Amino acid sequence: MENNVDTIIGVNVLIKGNLNNKNSVEINGSVEGEVRSDDHIDVGQTAKISGPVTAKTIVISGQVKGIVEATERLEINPTGVIIGDINAKSLIIQQGATFIGKSIMPSDNVKIPSSNKEDKKEVTTEAAAIKVEKEEKKELDEKDKVDDKEIIEDKFGFFSKK
Amino acid sequence: MYYYIFDIKKCKKRSQVESVKSYLGALGISGEFTYPTAACSVEELVDLALAREYSTIVGIGDDEIANIIAGKLAGRKEAMGFIPLEITPALAKLFGVESWKEACEALRFRKISQIRLGKTANNKAFLTYAYLGIKSPIEITLELKGYIVQAKVKNFAICNFHPGIQKMEEDYLDIMFTSVSNEGGSILNKFSSILGNKQKENGPDFSLLRGRSLRIFTKTPLPLICGNTVIAKTPQFFESSDEYLRIITAKKIDLK
Repeated sequence: MENNVDTIIGVNVLIKGNLNNKNSVEINGSVEGEVRSDDHIDVGQTAKISGPVTAKTIVISGQVKGIVEATERLEINPTGVIIGDINAKSLIIQQGATFIGKSIMPSDNVKIPSSNKEDKKEVTTEAAAIKVEKEEKKELDEKDKVDDKEIIEDKFGFFSKK
Repeated sequence: MYYYIFDIKKCKKRSQVESVKSYLGALGISGEFTYPTAACSVEELVDLALAREYSTIVGIGDDEIANIIAGKLAGRKEAMGFIPLEITPALAKLFGVESWKEACEALRFRKISQIRLGKTANNKAFLTYAYLGIKSPIEITLELKGYIVQAKVKNFAICNFHPGIQKMEEDYLDIMFTSVSNEGGSILNKFSSILGNKQKENGPDFSLLRGRSLRIFTKTPLPLICGNTVIAKTPQFFESSDEYLRIITAKKIDLK
């Protein structure tokens, strides 16, 4: 077995703790904790990871519950499942793959508006929505009051048409 | 200059001793020949050689004598030579020799390489690898830096040098094992093993870990074997030695 894989975790193997490697890692078993490599991580079909996964390039064919961060490339194969946020420069999601979470793709060419502005915008939109809701509520309340009055007036029958 | 420790028990024929002696003489590297006995162990013979300031101590035998001499010479300036009477693939690759004759010729050229050793808590050293004596699959727990590993394994080895494994870090031990399901194998698997169908080499049940040191735990004490010798029992601590051992290898070997 002469290859550059530094660490291989076989099926039916459970790892608890943080796996930190310089070279590439292949996981076919379960990991409860962080998996980090300076090179490549291959998450096999039988693999289950509960924790963050960080590497230069990552290929996911198994399950990951946690943040997945690839400084270069992330590929999710049809059998791959990610429940967590993704941060990858280059992202490939194949048909059939499952991904539940947010995705951030940092790029040198595209200028991403600062997060503060976005927050402010969102806050402004939310505030406007609340304002509209309040106004609508006010109108409805006033309407209700008028209706109540009419009901009261009708109750005593002073203005009812005979 | 050369101090030979001949493990005579490992000789198939008495004539082999004389053959090796005469071949070494023909190559011009004859020296003092000693034989371990019940009264004088290999360790004591090495101490004797060091006291007499021999620069090269050569073990003639198998893994057992090689590991004992290696453990005694690690971190020292004296070089270790090895002439195998029954060569194992790991030792053959480490020393770059296929037979005792090739080993004798390598000694004459005296190319020195350096290697670290695997060591146990009871200070037993091993040049190549130690494997767990397993009869049926057992649950093991490994403690490595930053994480623990739990698995049911059918074979397990801790390697300082293994012919099939590319060493990533010279001061790391390679740990390899084949895991099995905790629920037991499927009927199909059982049948295929009965019929002698070999599983795909390095399949998904194969694991390879690397660590500077590790602890191994099993429910019941199990022997850790190197060559044909039990060097330790579980639970046990293993580490890669800080010191280097100077070994005489064939010219083609490029360790350090």
